Amino acid sequence: MDNSTQESHLRSENFFTHDSPYPIYAMAFSSSSDRIHRIAVGSFLEEYNNKVDIISFDEETLTFKTDPNLSFDHPYPPTKLMFHPNGAKSLRKSSNLLASSGDYLRLWEVRENSIEPRALLNNSKTSEFCAPLTSFDWNDAEPRRIGTSSIDTTCTIWDVERGVVDTQLIAHDKEVYDIAWGEVGVFASVSADGSVRIFDLRDKEHSTIVYESPQPDTPLLRLSWNKQDLRYMATILMDSNKVVILDIRSPGLPVAELERHRACINAIAWAPQSCRHICSAGDDAQALIWELPTVAGPNGIDPILAYTAGSEINQLQWSALQPDWIAIAFANKMQLLKV
Amino acid sequence: MCWTMATGLQNQDGVPENHLRKQLAFAVRSIQWSYAIFWSISTRQQGVLAWGDGYYNGDIKTRKTVQPMELNTDQMGLQRSEQLRELYESLSAGDTNQQARRPSAALSPEDLSDAEWYYLVCMSFVFKPGQGLPGRTLANGQPIWLCNAHHADSKVFSRSLLAKSASIQTVVCFPFLGGVVELGVTELVLEDPSIIQNVKTSFLEFPEPMCSEQSTSSPQNVDNEESLELKHEVDNTVALDKFNPTPECEMEPEIASQTFPQCLSPCMAKEDIEQDGIEELDANICDDIKSGSPDNGSNECRANQQTEDSFMLDGMNGGTSQVQSWQVMDDEFSNCVHGSMNSSDCISQIFVNPQKVVSSPKGERINNLQLQDLQECNHTKLGSLDLGNDDLHYSRALSAIFKNSHPLIVGPGFHTGNHESSFKSWKRRGFLDAQMVKIGTPQKILKKVLFEVAQMHDGSLLKSRELNTGKVGLCKAEGDDVDLNHVLSERRRREKMNEKFLVLRSLVPSISKVDKASILGDTIEYLKELERRVEELESCRELSEFEAKARRKHPDIAERTSDNYGYNDISNGKKPTINKRKAIDIDETEPELNQVLSKDGSAADVIVSVIDKEVLIEIRCTWRDCLFFDIMDTVSNLHLDAHSVQSSTVDGILTVMLKTKFRGVAVASAGMVKQALQRVISKC
Repeated sequence: MDNSTQESHLRSENFFTHDSPYPIYAMAFSSSSDRIHRIAVGSFLEEYNNKVDIISFDEETLTFKTDPNLSFDHPYPPTKLMFHPNGAKSLRKSSNLLASSGDYLRLWEVRENSIEPRALLNNSKTSEFCAPLTSFDWNDAEPRRIGTSSIDTTCTIWDVERGVVDTQLIAHDKEVYDIAWGEVGVFASVSADGSVRIFDLRDKEHSTIVYESPQPDTPLLRLSWNKQDLRYMATILMDSNKVVILDIRSPGLPVAELERHRACINAIAWAPQSCRHICSAGDDAQALIWELPTVAGPNGIDPILAYTAGSEINQLQWSALQPDWIAIAFANKMQLLKV
Repeated sequence: MCWTMATGLQNQDGVPENHLRKQLAFAVRSIQWSYAIFWSISTRQQGVLAWGDGYYNGDIKTRKTVQPMELNTDQMGLQRSEQLRELYESLSAGDTNQQARRPSAALSPEDLSDAEWYYLVCMSFVFKPGQGLPGRTLANGQPIWLCNAHHADSKVFSRSLLAKSASIQTVVCFPFLGGVVELGVTELVLEDPSIIQNVKTSFLEFPEPMCSEQSTSSPQNVDNEESLELKHEVDNTVALDKFNPTPECEMEPEIASQTFPQCLSPCMAKEDIEQDGIEELDANICDDIKSGSPDNGSNECRANQQTEDSFMLDGMNGGTSQVQSWQVMDDEFSNCVHGSMNSSDCISQIFVNPQKVVSSPKGERINNLQLQDLQECNHTKLGSLDLGNDDLHYSRALSAIFKNSHPLIVGPGFHTGNHESSFKSWKRRGFLDAQMVKIGTPQKILKKVLFEVAQMHDGSLLKSRELNTGKVGLCKAEGDDVDLNHVLSERRRREKMNEKFLVLRSLVPSISKVDKASILGDTIEYLKELERRVEELESCRELSEFEAKARRKHPDIAERTSDNYGYNDISNGKKPTINKRKAIDIDETEPELNQVLSKDGSAADVIVSVIDKEVLIEIRCTWRDCLFFDIMDTVSNLHLDAHSVQSSTVDGILTVMLKTKFRGVAVASAGMVKQALQRVISKC
């Protein structure tokens, strides 16, 4: 069991880098509980031809493996990738469902050695045109549901099993940039209009504004809902180095602002197994892990852990099943970090 | 002792132990062993033995002290034991603030020797009756003498692995005062009942031989242990120097006051305090004052420089606050001890994790210890754990993040997680560093994804309409052919998109740069300008409406262009169908409007509507020779092909309806067409 040579080798390296031929933006951890992690990585090329690769990471050998069969073309860069939240349960054991957003919401079936497109979901009833999607979120409590956010100010809730639109809500005054589920029927979204709004599908007429950016019309770019404690969510503003932590019980005022990044923030992720920890990454090439104190000190909150990457970190994902792994993307590298 | 229960409930655990510690210290030192532990019945968990108190008498790796004065060995030993206890509490509390609260003299884990680690980890153990060495001792009521403890079966001695790391070879347990006293030594000592007897005697004898330099450390001590004597003391102001002080307890300022003469009664007179309090404090102060130990406390000798009166005040206050803090401490203390059944897993993990940051096999092993299964625990050498502050920081953070206080809920990734964390403890940078880093475009990729990728898709809209009538409209499409189709259509869309941008660029006069963003930006500016002008003209038109009615027969040139054209093109196609429909609606109604509302003094009326590549031209103007041909010429020069022409001349007014189409990609704006036509018409 003890292999000292290997262990000493391991110790010298505490992160694992995958070099991609192209710049990376979208990224997703597979939720199937294999020993071998699968990570979907989407290229970011400002042209039509883009790629999504499924990369395997073996925890035993600590190596990445790419397979040309586990790769597909994507029209323009995917704005988000996400695996089916319940992993292999819903499908045959060896396959997994991956969703991507861009012009449409697409579903792909990732098998052992191949990938098949499964569906293309277009929400426009009147024409074939569907406004491009900025993001989406898969409801892990009800995996039939995917919510998409679009630049046409709407959020669309899909029943992906039937491939039909459940409901479409005009959510904001401007482009919607991100969406996140809280419960089965509750989601929140952020928008260029600078607001965070919560929607309850049981009452579609109303939404609750829980936060508005201090300068009007400063767009909010990303949103992350604390899955361990649904009272909390986090958002980031355009051109800001702050992570804004919101408590939905006290709308309007953030409960905390995490401002130790030295440049703008690009991505945030709550810890999958702890309600008090959040990771953020930004242009200062740092990924910081924060622990939210019960009472904030006068000088703000300091992060507890930090990692410095080679350049601006554009993406951050915290593995839900292996919570000791965080993946970041910068330039054309994807890195797995051990927490 | 029972009568103190009501008042001193919290103190019961702590204070007797304080006394107990001295007894243990005396006992263990008298036989020169490494440590003594008193396992007492937990008040939280019925029938379970938990850490009561202990005294460490073994090797010491690093001694930290802030005391200016030398302490004698007794005091150093007690201090060390107390520090170990504090360290344990701070570790087990798991609160990140703990570190900050700990005094500077406190130990950090890296200061500990192997044996001290053993002693420290012991604090996390609890034993059910019959379980482990102390448990069996209690159950049987008989002493147990264990030689070769480090090789003992884990069923007999659950800490054998730990003992091995600390080289503890002999462990002895015997029942005492309702609990169990455990003694350990690094040497092999064969069973010798006289040693146990010796220890027991020294417990009984204690404290008489030890009292030379001692003072009472706390009134509660007296309360609980020597209640009768306390009364005696208070009444007669006779100091009984019974106990060792705990040098690290918060009483030191008062202890330092021994240089002052008796002053009990003035103090009592001055301070109007409730009787109980005074009694306690008096006993306290009194004892302090009388105790003659030159070595005692004296950490901070501030009291020495103070006047008698102010000292007294100090003493009183100090005494009061000290009593409170005692209780707080005791609370924590007992929480800790009695909660240890639940938290011990976590604690042992905290001890062990830092070396291999994420729960290493060692961590699990120690948990297993707890679960009295040691079979596979081969050679963990606890003592080799070298805990740095950073590591400690980590382990706390990590255990909090993962909630991994129990090995069973640890995720699957854990077992292979032998590598170190990629993250380092965050450190505040210097002032300069704290400035924001300036980077080209902040959030570059994120913005591109959110703002520009959408545009990329948008560009392909028109194309998709042309190519995929109906097909893409399916909500759910199956398989490859759609995908392939889509790939092709997307490609064409993009080409078309670029083409349209070129057209747009040629249309807007003010465009200076080539990139799409500035083309759109300039177009927006241009459009706003046009809209402003339209508004201006419309207000003019309202004013002139009256006159216009009077002069209806004079054909006018209405300065109108169909602004829908430009709008369509730059609107990112958000709702193109609707816009387009609007455009048509307007075009249909406008001819009438224009006939009615023509502008004074103008000679002609020209309407140009552009829909896609179709251009509809309507002209009403005064007839002249060759006018019709000039118009057709102009139209042709604008790269327009006329495919339908209607014309008539009534009362010297020429009416022309032209349906034309653009040749190729060069597209002139409605405004340009109109201007050109007006030029021709007005050219007499």
